[in-house]
Amino acid sequence: MFKSLATSIAGLGLALANANGAFAADPVKIGFSLPLTGIFAPAAPSQKNAYELWREQVNAKGGLDVAGTKRMVEFVSYDDQSDPGQAVKIYEKLITQDKVDLLLGPWGTPHHFAVAGVLERYKFPMVGDTAASVQLRDLKPGYIWFPTSALPDEQGKQLPLLLKSLGVKTVAITTAQHPFALENKKFIVEGLKANGIEVVSNAEYPLDIRDMTALISSLKQANPDAELSLSMTGDSVLYTRQAKELGFTPRVQFVLVGPAATFFTKIFGNQVDGLLTMGHWSPSQTKWPKAKPFYDAYVAKYGEPPDYLDSALSYEACEITEQAVAKAGLDHEKLRQTIASETFDTIDGPVKFNGVVNATTPTMFLQYRNGVFEIIWPKSEATASVMTK
Amino acid sequence: MMARIGRAASAVTAVALLAIALPVVANSYVVGVCFTLLVWIALTESWIVISGMTGYISLGHVVFVGVGAYVAALTWLALPIWLILPLAGLTAAALAMLVGYPCLRVRGPYFVILTFGLSELVKYIVVNIESALTVSGRVLFGAPGVETLYLIALALAWVSVILALIVRESRFGAALRAIRENEEAAETIGVAIGKFKAAAFVLSSIVPGMVGALLIMRSTYFEPLEAFNPQTSVLIVTMAVIGGSDRPFGPMLGVVFLVLLQELLWTNLPQLYMIVVGALLVAVVIWLPGGIYGRIQRMATAAAR
Amino acid sequence: MSTQLLIAALVAGSVYALIALGLNLVYGTMRLINVAHGEVVMIGAYVAYWGISLLSVGPLISAFAAMPVAMALGAAIYFGIFRRAMQSAEFMERIEGNSLLVFFGVSVILQNVASLLFTPNQRGYRYQDEIVHVIGATVPVNKLIVLAIAAAVCVAAVLFFRRSTLGLAIKALMQQREASALVGIPLTHIELASLCLGFATAALAGVLVSMTEEISPFMGFPLTVTAFVVVILGGLGNVLGSLIGGLILGVLETFGVALTGPSYRSIMIYAVFIAVLLLRPQGLLGAGRSRT
Repeated sequence: MFKSLATSIAGLGLALANANGAFAADPVKIGFSLPLTGIFAPAAPSQKNAYELWREQVNAKGGLDVAGTKRMVEFVSYDDQSDPGQAVKIYEKLITQDKVDLLLGPWGTPHHFAVAGVLERYKFPMVGDTAASVQLRDLKPGYIWFPTSALPDEQGKQLPLLLKSLGVKTVAITTAQHPFALENKKFIVEGLKANGIEVVSNAEYPLDIRDMTALISSLKQANPDAELSLSMTGDSVLYTRQAKELGFTPRVQFVLVGPAATFFTKIFGNQVDGLLTMGHWSPSQTKWPKAKPFYDAYVAKYGEPPDYLDSALSYEACEITEQAVAKAGLDHEKLRQTIASETFDTIDGPVKFNGVVNATTPTMFLQYRNGVFEIIWPKSEATASVMTK
Repeated sequence: MMARIGRAASAVTAVALLAIALPVVANSYVVGVCFTLLVWIALTESWIVISGMTGYISLGHVVFVGVGAYVAALTWLALPIWLILPLAGLTAAALAMLVGYPCLRVRGPYFVILTFGLSELVKYIVVNIESALTVSGRVLFGAPGVETLYLIALALAWVSVILALIVRESRFGAALRAIRENEEAAETIGVAIGKFKAAAFVLSSIVPGMVGALLIMRSTYFEPLEAFNPQTSVLIVTMAVIGGSDRPFGPMLGVVFLVLLQELLWTNLPQLYMIVVGALLVAVVIWLPGGIYGRIQRMATAAAR
Repeated sequence: MSTQLLIAALVAGSVYALIALGLNLVYGTMRLINVAHGEVVMIGAYVAYWGISLLSVGPLISAFAAMPVAMALGAAIYFGIFRRAMQSAEFMERIEGNSLLVFFGVSVILQNVASLLFTPNQRGYRYQDEIVHVIGATVPVNKLIVLAIAAAVCVAAVLFFRRSTLGLAIKALMQQREASALVGIPLTHIELASLCLGFATAALAGVLVSMTEEISPFMGFPLTVTAFVVVILGGLGNVLGSLIGGLILGVLETFGVALTGPSYRSIMIYAVFIAVLLLRPQGLLGAGRSRT
């Protein structure tokens, strides 16, 4: 009797499963590496969280739509120990050993460069995310794309325009000796000159600096309208704190890398109201209906706001991959053509690639206001008008 | 001496010749893992020429790797690879020659800290040079694939092991050991300690310089903070010590052990890998002074009795 | 501007001196090169952070929890790791190199355990950060507190080593190990005491650092490097020397940078470091030539 009962239940279960249309298909394996240890470890969580959130959401909908069939998403990920050489090895492993169906990006520009070679070799398309360098433009268009619009040459053109619109006449710049910061400095200085803004102080410092008293004291003496702290995460925190301690409060303050990350605003809170930073996403942008839901979902799951750069870009890469796969399935060549030619609808608005770079999203800047970053430049994309002292 | 070197060297050469065939039978991932193994073998075997033999522990060996990488990055478009590699090695050797003599007059823990400081100093000098040139990271387009890089790594590893063997069995090596056991006594009996130490230092720098060039061909991106990362120096010391820094075959064991361990622990908590490495290091230094190789040797002699 | 720089130099220098003090203590008595010193500072910092975040207890009170924690760690390391090993002559012959490696293993373990437990992100809290004006310079109150405490402890240390029995015993051990044993100084007790004191001062420094800076599991390594620079400047094993060395480094970091420009900050510090190592390895206050 139990046997027949069991068989009937099994049969019922099978019928229900079939009724849903989801025949238990193989999961889609998506591979990536992140710096879970090593010097970039603090950066990994914001990207990992975005990937995880996307996966959860997709699986809740029944799985990833692979050209008509829904399949659950499984991640295969490793720690690259903040070493681009390891990332190369890992992506080779993902492709040849783990035989993943799709790939997502690692963290950071050097890692993306390192992995680009692997993708080229195996003709495996991947949408990158957390990378920004003008040298990206030199990459042969092929199997990698970058949705970022925070490329240093564009920022170098736009930031001076923003400053000019605020009536800034004199600028002081402090730059960390790090490739991204230095790259931005090069273009920003050019742009300032082109717009007739005077650079009254232009100093660099090594990343392991522990005390900026001398540096900031000289900034105070220079008394600029605006200060551009082209700093990376750790030194951004140091600068922000010491500037306040030393009573250096220029009318306009821009900090390059750091403010967009969750921990930064956790440390400083409303002390940094009015701070300007790079970024091209905000939940306040009503033109992008997906933006606020992403923000809310992230806060609901992780109890803190997303990183306005890394989390947003990583999620976008997932969205683009998702939409491309829905159209083209998992075939590499078809996928590649789709990613290269279609326009995608992301939390950051429409994204279409021209070669390796994003051709639709303009370069923007953010300002911190009451716990949220608003887009304040360009005026066409602004979610709030810029506030100065 | 020649006979002893001959036997070991033949064994090593035979293995190396066999290993040439690897890319034919294994996929790129396996070749990549072996590339990593060979690179670390090349680095640790070079390191013991100075630190294992003389007891002067260098905690800044990455400086040679970084210098080689920089040379490769600078000459990438101008020179062919077969010129870049030796140039990288020679530049590293030049640096070793320049700083070796004064630095090796400093003893014990001071030398350790000095090499670290030196490596950091060179790092920040390169950082400043790059920023003065308004260069922010150099991308190396068109680098060779992992199969070619693997063969080069195999050659470098072979060279470093043979070199370690020769140094160990030669009179030069005997002098270095004498320096390690009792430097003053060695000086008294007429060993030109300054020259010998400096020579060992220079010898230990050549292969790492070439490895540096090789490594950035693998990652295709040069950036001074990465290229001169002190963690590399520390890993070299860790692998050599765990394997057994007294014998030429010791470091190889350490490298293989740690790389394999990493492959195993990768999918689990990666921080766990680092914690295990840390614990291993403590355990080996306290309980296995000769490293894994030393322990195996002891077991072998005990079994033979 | 000069007062501003002077205050910054004093604050930074006093903290460096405090951190280096512990390092020197441990090396001077047992010739152990504690490269995990920065991680002990990190532990102190996290105790203070969690104290204020979870229990709303001020860092000055948390210090009284941080120091025992560090001392317990020191005792555990002493008994668990070194005690047995130090009985082997082979180990003692290369004790500096061996201890370097052992402590390096310990530091890796501590960093990664902290990273696992606390996430690798930077954290910070606000404590007494109102700005006050002191002779034309602006300083947050927390930095003045740090300066006061660090300076007081350093002065107390100097007095301790000149006046108190334990201090003199430790000094004796540092200068003449065998002779100390001969006159009946209990080596084990003194070694343990100095290790614990060294760790305790590191943890206290960690509490102070957490008041003025952000903390992370990997904050230790740069501080260890800084401590070694200070110790080399002042002389390995020389307690007063580490105070002077700390101040010199503080001055380099502020006035030195003002002079040469911030981009050469690290080059300058390492160049001075290497110069002292090459020209006067026993440190500016050390006596005698360097011995292995």
